Amino acid sequence: MSAPVQVTPEAPMLEAAGVSIQFGGLKALTDFNLTIRQGDLQGLIGPNGAGKSTAFNALTGVYRPTRGDVRVAGQRVNGWMPHRINHLGLARTFQNIRLFRALSVLDNVKVACRAETLSHQEHWLPASLFIAALRGVGGVGGEKGARGGQRLGEQLIEQAGALVLQGWWRSLFLTPGFQAEEQRITERADALLEVMGLSHRRNEEARNLPYGEQRRLEIARALGTQPKVLLLDEPAAGMNTREKADLMVLIRKLRDQFSLGVLVIEHDMKLVMGICERITVLDHGEMIARGAPDEVRNDRKVIEAYLGDSYLESHGGAA
Amino acid sequence: MTTARSATTVPEAGAVVPAGLKGLLPVLLALPVLGLLEWLLRASPFATYLLSVMGVNIILAVSLNIVNGMTGQFSIGHAGFMAVGAYLAGFVSLMLKGVAISFLPEALSDQVFFLLALLVGGLSAALCGFLVGLPSLRLRGDYLAIVTLGFGEIIRVVVQNTDAFGRALGLSGIPQTSGVGMVYFGVFLVVLVARRIAGSSHGRSLWAIREDEVAAEAMGVDTTGYKVRSFVISSFFAGIAGGLFAHFVPIINPGSFTFVKSMEIVVMVVLGGLGSTTGAILAAIFLTLLPEGLRSLFTSLGAEGSLAQKVDQIRMPVYGLLLVALMLSRPQGLFGTKEIWDVLPKWWARRKKGTS
Ligand SMILES: Nc1ncnc2c1ncn2[C@@H]1O[C@H](COP(=O)(O)OP(=O)(O)OP(=O)(O)O)[C@@H](O)[C@H]1O
Ligand SMILES: [Mg+2]
Repeated sequence: MSAPVQVTPEAPMLEAAGVSIQFGGLKALTDFNLTIRQGDLQGLIGPNGAGKSTAFNALTGVYRPTRGDVRVAGQRVNGWMPHRINHLGLARTFQNIRLFRALSVLDNVKVACRAETLSHQEHWLPASLFIAALRGVGGVGGEKGARGGQRLGEQLIEQAGALVLQGWWRSLFLTPGFQAEEQRITERADALLEVMGLSHRRNEEARNLPYGEQRRLEIARALGTQPKVLLLDEPAAGMNTREKADLMVLIRKLRDQFSLGVLVIEHDMKLVMGICERITVLDHGEMIARGAPDEVRNDRKVIEAYLGDSYLESHGGAA
Repeated sequence: MTTARSATTVPEAGAVVPAGLKGLLPVLLALPVLGLLEWLLRASPFATYLLSVMGVNIILAVSLNIVNGMTGQFSIGHAGFMAVGAYLAGFVSLMLKGVAISFLPEALSDQVFFLLALLVGGLSAALCGFLVGLPSLRLRGDYLAIVTLGFGEIIRVVVQNTDAFGRALGLSGIPQTSGVGMVYFGVFLVVLVARRIAGSSHGRSLWAIREDEVAAEAMGVDTTGYKVRSFVISSFFAGIAGGLFAHFVPIINPGSFTFVKSMEIVVMVVLGGLGSTTGAILAAIFLTLLPEGLRSLFTSLGAEGSLAQKVDQIRMPVYGLLLVALMLSRPQGLFGTKEIWDVLPKWWARRKKGTS
């Protein structure tokens, strides 16, 4: 008898509720809702300027929502700095590739592979006690690390604490523990390069990679942060048809291998329809449809707003 | 544990030296060498002075490179932090003048107090670095440049109006306890710290910030925190440099820590290549010897006094010309973001190929 597959009602890893972003008079995103669980592979589509990238930026903390809530792993993260949201398990790639251009391919991934000391610091009891004690009776409430709002003394203590606790001294003295950790980070980064098929580029500068490989490196780097949810902003842009198809297969593989929830923005309709189980369609910042590929494909509003007549002509008969 | 992969990484001395000792090995090697150097130069005050000035400049350039090169921020007030270190270390030494630790030989006791003064100077500068860095490093763009520029000037004005610091006359009579050994121990420390940070996850975070702040933040790098910490470390060493300086020059006054001095350090870092520690060292050596060379040249030409004095006046235009020439011919500086051992072998190989 095969072991029963454990089916638990997974808690959502990423949740957006009524998120709106406004740039001056422009409503770039209005009342955006989204839920992503582990194992999801969802698509986000919409015409140019629909607000897809803006949605990513709102979810990852680049922009602060004008209204609404974003929750990552159950925590409300409105106004958090992006790096803290990332620590909760949300990673992303960028539409306009943003690699660390002058660094080697390996180092790009190693930056994202956070040293374990850094992660431990938040959980290691003596460290938290130390910081708490230093903070003293300052009466620090609310969201730690929210933009601004911390007192100077607290900041000083936090920075001093970071210098001691984040193991800067370990790197200065090259302690055996530090060396072993560097070794592990390198191994982890190498493994990710292997997965993304970039091992042969390991020591090259990221800026010298061809376009498609740069996009794959962005994914490898995002995976380095050990995310639970991965947001991919047009990961196949600029690739040829064959590369695109390969990438989509790879994305599905990543989802399974790393137990991710994935949200993909992609312009190529066929690709999104092919791999995504659920698709959200944006137009002018508003969600106009959501559902399985077939539902979305046949939705009137979507056809009008996004697919256009040419799509109907070429695909209408086949569907 | 050796893996096949280590063939492609930088060869490490780990096989010969036990891992625990590796971190301290350079220190153990450096101390006797520095002691020997000091002993060799004991009868040559000019060489001692020149090498000390050079050493202080190296510390300044290497430490500024941590912020301007490795982290990609732009600070142009390094002389201000040097001033803080110089005045506070000098002040401490003046206060402790005549005090001695009874069970130690006098020379050793002096060095202990000198170290203490240096530490006070360095930590004060680091604290100033924190106060200056925190508000300005949270913001993007050129705020840091503006704020550090202002900071340098404020320090100068404060010193000029504080009796305890001798106002415009400066502090004199600070015990001359510095020597080549101590200065180069400082050089050794700052280079060690810079290189070891560069080889750690902290260093990678700094480079990531230099390359793309938004991406670094998205990859979980606490960009503000790292910027502040790199700035604090950099300021600490500027303070140490100032403290060393105060203990081998006869007098320190506000004129030693002007904007010109700050720019001199910036030029060193840019000349060496933003991000290159060895580049900063070579540039600091070059820009220390250049005025001294010109001065001796003018002196040997028989232009005592007047022309030799002019060397100091033509400094700024010379730096300006140097920068312009550099930007036109080699904008990335001597070594770019690389180190000498990355650059020279390739350069050598290309040269050999070209000639044969
Ligand atoms: N930082 C900003 N400031 C002002 N307006 C912005 C900003 N970012 C995006 N916008 C505007 O918001 C709207 C949505 O932009 P967004 O980049 O999210 O579109 P998109 O769906 O990703 O489009 P594309 O398919 O072209 O990438 C656009 O009109 C854009 O001009
Ligand atoms: Mg976009």
